[in-house]
Amino acid sequence: MRRTWLAAIAVVAVACGAADAPTPDVPDPADWDAVVERARGQTVNLHMWGGSNEINAFVDDHYGPRLAEEYDITLNRVPLADTADAVATVLSELDADQTVGGAVDLIWINGENFATMDDADALLRGWAPLLPNAELVDWDDPAIAFDAGRPVDGAESPWGSAQFQFVYDADRHDLDELPRSYAELADWIVANPGRFTYPSPPAFHGTRFVKQWFYELSGGPDRWLDGFDEAAYDEASAELWDLLDDLEPYLWREGQTYPNDIADLDRLFANGEVDLTFTQLPAGIDGQIQAGVFPETARPYVFDTGGIGDTHYLAIPVNANAPAAAMVLANLALEPDLQIAKLDPANGWGDGIVIEPDRIDDDARSALQAVEDSLGETAVDQAELAAAQLPETVGAYTDAIDRDWDRFIRQGQPRE
Amino acid sequence: MRTLLHDERLRPWLLLAPALTVVGVLAGGAIVQAAVRSVSPVRGSGETGLTLSAYRSLLADPELPRSLLLTLYLATTSTLLAVVLGIAAALALRQVAARSRWLTTVFQLPLPIPHVVGAVAVLALLGQSGLFSRIAGSAGLIDDAASFPALVFDPLAIGILAEYTWKEVPFVGIVALALLRSSRVTEQEAAARSLGAGPWQRLRHVTLPLVLPGVLSVAVIVFAFSFGAFEVPLLLGASFPETLPVMAFRRHTDISLAARPEALALSLLMAAVAVACVALAMRVARRTIREEGR
Repeated sequence: MRRTWLAAIAVVAVACGAADAPTPDVPDPADWDAVVERARGQTVNLHMWGGSNEINAFVDDHYGPRLAEEYDITLNRVPLADTADAVATVLSELDADQTVGGAVDLIWINGENFATMDDADALLRGWAPLLPNAELVDWDDPAIAFDAGRPVDGAESPWGSAQFQFVYDADRHDLDELPRSYAELADWIVANPGRFTYPSPPAFHGTRFVKQWFYELSGGPDRWLDGFDEAAYDEASAELWDLLDDLEPYLWREGQTYPNDIADLDRLFANGEVDLTFTQLPAGIDGQIQAGVFPETARPYVFDTGGIGDTHYLAIPVNANAPAAAMVLANLALEPDLQIAKLDPANGWGDGIVIEPDRIDDDARSALQAVEDSLGETAVDQAELAAAQLPETVGAYTDAIDRDWDRFIRQGQPRE
Repeated sequence: MRTLLHDERLRPWLLLAPALTVVGVLAGGAIVQAAVRSVSPVRGSGETGLTLSAYRSLLADPELPRSLLLTLYLATTSTLLAVVLGIAAALALRQVAARSRWLTTVFQLPLPIPHVVGAVAVLALLGQSGLFSRIAGSAGLIDDAASFPALVFDPLAIGILAEYTWKEVPFVGIVALALLRSSRVTEQEAAARSLGAGPWQRLRHVTLPLVLPGVLSVAVIVFAFSFGAFEVPLLLGASFPETLPVMAFRRHTDISLAARPEALALSLLMAAVAVACVALAMRVARRTIREEGR
């Protein structure tokens, strides 16, 4: 009996090793009609972070019916606790030589997760700029063409954008009393002890907040957009750590502890313990006000010295089961009416657009204008926001800032 | 199979086998895997063979000793609080529980509530903009939220201790209450009473020595839990120093793969420290109880 089993295992093992892994048959988006034809009747498994009911509902309500009616495609949204879960799924499939028929057709992705998949050659490349709606996208814009300093290389199709903004309570402060740059913020913190803090890096908003301060002290982002110059970074960042260290006694709780993440900071802001918090939504904070996270009188604003903006994307794994349907969905996500619906906070999301207003038709442009006009006081003026956008660094500087903040600020280690 | 089950020497092992397999495979397997991965080089580091670099960089971390002290302080304090208050509550409940069964039910209420919910409740009550702070504010005792004492995210970890006490006192109390109600205890108490022992003498020389050994095993569970749990310290702890489990959690979720072996090394270190503490405490406690019992 045992011998039979061993023999069976051996046969299976040999078969697996000997058989050539099948080569995936990827459709060519340049021949769009063929892609649409291939996609007919397919199910597309969209793996995306599922932590927001509003975003989930938007995807189900706005993409699902259109895919079914116009393309005969079934949308299967797979909610994830963390995008890294989908990355792990694909990478372990590839490790097991599953080169076709993978579980993931499309991932909502950017930043570190993109870097991981790109390094592992786990994404289809070159398809995104060939989508019909890709001509609405400005591929020369570094905010689109580079994802955290890494060339997108046609492996990601843009979906939406986010940008760092500050939030204050108009009931407590007039905007002209508030700092409009990090230099002013430092003075404001000293003048208002205990009324400011920020989430501890590597929490996303905390890292971004510290990195923008680094930009301002080091003369702007341009030096930090590619490569990693450790000597230059060490020299430029020394002043930042001195400053953050000196300011600690004036922070909330004398800087002896920091909020874990943006949710903690939002709570301190809503309870009146601090005067500022942050948001990433380009179309503003109306959703958070409606949800009771912020008071009615909360308002976003941007520093004159800008805030980091970034793009989030859709990407197709090399072993996707339905790459054609995935391309159709990525293309649909760039349709002007759906981009505008996604921007409109009334639909629950308020995510930034990635298409160029001067490349869409007049009807769409007036619809966009109508949404932007309706944003009101709970959003920053869209032109002002666009003008204030700063690019994101390469990942190596993010890692260095997180590491050094942890050592010099959280732990208070002395620097040589 | 029938004959096997009738074999007196084999039977206990056969009955234990399912439980031992689960513990052995899950816990033992995890420990072995953690040990292997803690000495394996990270992909792309260029190192081959086995390496102790994760342990070296962990031991060189100046936060480690402070974190260890904080974790030991938290686990010891919360265990002592739970044991003392739990036994006291059980003694009190035994007096009144016959009359008011609902009191025992209320006392047990925290048991099914998750720790995370308890942590959020502590935040809403003890935070500087929490309920107590607001009451103090409207009573004119404090001027603003910042003048309310820092009871969460604080260096003494009062918020964490409050949450653990709220949750663990009923746990210890329920076990102590069951022991107190056992015929062994009630009969010996009655015997002591008939021999003329007063209430304090009965408690000190009869009741406590009979109850403590049983409570001790619960105390071990409480200690091991509060030494190793990360969610409450993560939610209510100060940024620095972090407890060992939070440190391990952060390293495990770090973007850099190099931090993963350190997280595993730290977890193994924690397991070793916890086992050593429990072994030491058991020895001391057993000896004390034996001497007290005389």
